[in-house]
Amino acid sequence: MNDKILLSVNGLSKHFGGLAAVQNVSFSIRQGEIVSLIGPNGAGKTTVFNLLSGVFSPSAGTINLDGEDITGKRPFEVCQKGVGRTFQIMQPFPQMTVLENIITSSLFGRVPKISLSQAEEEAVELCKLVGLGDKQNTFPRNLTTPGQKRIEIARALAVKPKLLLLDEVMSGLTPTETIEAIKLVRSLRDKGTTVFLIEHVMKVVMGISDRVIVVHHGEKIAEGTCAEVANDPKVIKAYLGEHAEDTKESMC
Amino acid sequence: MVDWASLLQSLANGILIAGLYAAVTLGLTLVLGVMGIVNFAHGELIMLGAYSSFWLFTLLGIDPLLSLALSGVLLFFIGTGIYRFTIWPIMKDPPLNQLLLTLGLSIFFQNLAMILWKTDSRTIITSYSGMSLDLGIIHFGLTRMITFLISVVLTVLLVVFLSKTKPGRAMQAVSENNTASWLIGINVEKTYLLAFGVAAALAGAAGALVSTVMYTFPMVGFKLSLKAFCILVIGGLGNIPGTLFGSLILGITESFVGTYIPEGSGWAEGISFVLLIVILIIKPTGLAGTRRE
Amino acid sequence: MNRLISGKSFIVLIVLAVVLIFFYPRVMDSYFLHLTIAIFLAMILASSWDILARTGQVSVGQAGLFGIGAYASALLYQWIHLPPVLGILAGGILAVILAVGIGYLTLRLRGIYFSITTIAFAEALAVIWLMIPDITGGAMGVSTPPLFGGNRILAYYLILAILALVIMTVWLIEKSRLNFAFTAIRQNEDVANVMGINPTRYKVLAFMISAFFTGLAGGFYSHYNTYIIPYEVFGLNVSIACLVMPIFGGLYTILGPVIGTILVKVIEEFLRVTVPYGHQIAYGLILVVVVLFMPDGLIGLWKKRIKPLFLKKSSVG
Ligand SMILES: Nc1ncnc2c1ncn2[C@@H]1O[C@H](COP(=O)(O)OP(=O)(O)OP(=O)(O)O)[C@@H](O)[C@H]1O
Ligand SMILES: [Mg+2]
Repeated sequence: MNDKILLSVNGLSKHFGGLAAVQNVSFSIRQGEIVSLIGPNGAGKTTVFNLLSGVFSPSAGTINLDGEDITGKRPFEVCQKGVGRTFQIMQPFPQMTVLENIITSSLFGRVPKISLSQAEEEAVELCKLVGLGDKQNTFPRNLTTPGQKRIEIARALAVKPKLLLLDEVMSGLTPTETIEAIKLVRSLRDKGTTVFLIEHVMKVVMGISDRVIVVHHGEKIAEGTCAEVANDPKVIKAYLGEHAEDTKESMC
Repeated sequence: MVDWASLLQSLANGILIAGLYAAVTLGLTLVLGVMGIVNFAHGELIMLGAYSSFWLFTLLGIDPLLSLALSGVLLFFIGTGIYRFTIWPIMKDPPLNQLLLTLGLSIFFQNLAMILWKTDSRTIITSYSGMSLDLGIIHFGLTRMITFLISVVLTVLLVVFLSKTKPGRAMQAVSENNTASWLIGINVEKTYLLAFGVAAALAGAAGALVSTVMYTFPMVGFKLSLKAFCILVIGGLGNIPGTLFGSLILGITESFVGTYIPEGSGWAEGISFVLLIVILIIKPTGLAGTRRE
Repeated sequence: MNRLISGKSFIVLIVLAVVLIFFYPRVMDSYFLHLTIAIFLAMILASSWDILARTGQVSVGQAGLFGIGAYASALLYQWIHLPPVLGILAGGILAVILAVGIGYLTLRLRGIYFSITTIAFAEALAVIWLMIPDITGGAMGVSTPPLFGGNRILAYYLILAILALVIMTVWLIEKSRLNFAFTAIRQNEDVANVMGINPTRYKVLAFMISAFFTGLAGGFYSHYNTYIIPYEVFGLNVSIACLVMPIFGGLYTILGPVIGTILVKVIEEFLRVTVPYGHQIAYGLILVVVVLFMPDGLIGLWKKRIKPLFLKKSSVG
């Protein structure tokens, strides 16, 4: 890990009508870090990802990636600047095969552009990497939920992102699959990718993250190492009432 | 020198025609708002309403302003039939299919009308057709005045229906969020059926009005639906205040162009397209507030 | 995977080309040649519409582009005696320019804006044409001398060349990265966007390609027909034909629009005799039936229902 700041977010807000889904959130992520974004249901986590990837434009605040202001840039521009993301609700292209789904991402997310045959080669490699090697030519609807999540991850990786955003890719996985996934994330980091992930499974969060950011009602309420966050009274309070017990257990 | 009398007259004419345009567009707005479908066959439902009023008048001598209710009822049943047998099966399909289906229905009814009634333009001449109403410096054709008033009544009835009755409220709930409506016990499919039926009934009534102030011919619905689409875009797709506002803009602009531009009445037919382009350039979400996607 | 075309289809193509170029125009009598030209023209319109449809956009106003192409080349001939072949090209280019304008205004919005605008666009052109008769010839239309001095075989070769160009373009699109962009945008525009695809750019590009060929077809039509009027070339019937033929045949395929065109033309020719007014009712019926009962058109019907009947025996063994 080095000290170079890859992503810095300042005073980010997003309002939907009267609802403030994200409110004045600031943080930064260093290159090569693995950072988790946690918070109760509806806290605004996915909205933060949508803002980072350009799907929503922020009501206020700035987003800076690798020294460049990307606030208000459209999703395809953000993608080409090096942000890859997955969707919490999986959205593969239904009438494309698994491989074609990934090729599409390789073809258009990369700067400089690569040729069709090169994209195909890379997509085949990615299929193997995420464990879909034998499912290349099936259609997404024939895959299980974890299978479809693998497509999401492969598509996000296909753009060779500097910053990888993973939205709950590990929920619903079996324990062995989870361990595999954690290994995958670590190996990606070792190759230089910075990972920002949303997770509900606390064991995963604690096992993998260098740092944790906690949001609640759209606001950032804590940030720090796992231990710091887990002992923060504000965090415990935020989780109280929802699933306080198991949170406490798994967090500590 | 401003000729105030002609300016006022032109404004008043614009407002009167706007009333009819609102009646023509409301059903389209309702279906779009509740079901998320732009019904390309809406114009043809109006055309059928116009023909039914024409025939009721020609064969049975029933005044179009009375047969309006009959046209409405007839079209309500035609509308629910269309919904049940063609639209219902594809409600869960991608929006593309609904567009193509209603376009197909539109072409079907246009040509059916040509086969049944030829391409002749038909008019209704009532005992009061030529009468006009003088209000000092400006004056109106009586028929236009009546169609305007009836359009206002129809609009009010629709608003009352949507806000005060149970099925109307259900429609509003569905237009906000159909998953949540289903959860709170609203029968979404029945609501769609009713919304489509009510929209068709409105088209039928609007058609009867059309038959009194315009020619009735197989393409009349198509011509009107182009204006209705323009109104829809001005109003921001699918809300009633927007529709009323859009109708006013279109009606008044057409009327002014007709008065102040040489050969304006010919150009007026193209105004809806010009307005459409202007809106798309300056504010594609519509002038009358935005609708959440 | 790397070879662009298989040996078998290459042979089929060569045979087809030889037949269409050397034999067909000699064997056919003048009437059939005329019919063939009409069908090829319609195939161009159908395939061009399908190119745009690959991005999920429904144009209901191809008549606007067709009419612009037709009038551009007819008027250019009238004004400066521009040779028809150049006039036809000019028609295509003018259609592209209009497509860029409409495209940039509407294709960044939800698809319905595009459909509404295209339908209004064609009608607006008809209004404009009637209102400035000094320039456009008004309701009376414009006439030009017969194409190639009335030589039908040469006209046949010209339309065949344009058709070949269209089919080749579609084929190249299918083999290129454009196919991935178009398909992705059609299936989920927001996700395509997040994956680095600029949806507006590719939709406008598809519309430009579609407009170019539709404009060429219009230009050809005006010279071949020697006479055009606004009601006809800007008419709703043209726009509807452009979309019914490929939908009937099967969208997003090379063969679908071709087969759809042939069948629609045959049905239409038959109905024209029996139903003088309103024979386009068939277009409406086809649209409704296809959307309700045969989602992938004739090609889909063939693949899903008919082909398996033949294959049953062998697949069991
Ligand atoms: N497009 C939208 N329009 C309106 N409201 C939205 C939209 N997207 C999210 N919201 C609202 O913003 C709030 C935050 O939602 P978000 O999806 O970011 O939460 P989350 O933290 O990802 O929750 P979860 O853990 O359930 O995934 C919620 O109240 C949600 O209803
Ligand atoms: Mg979420």
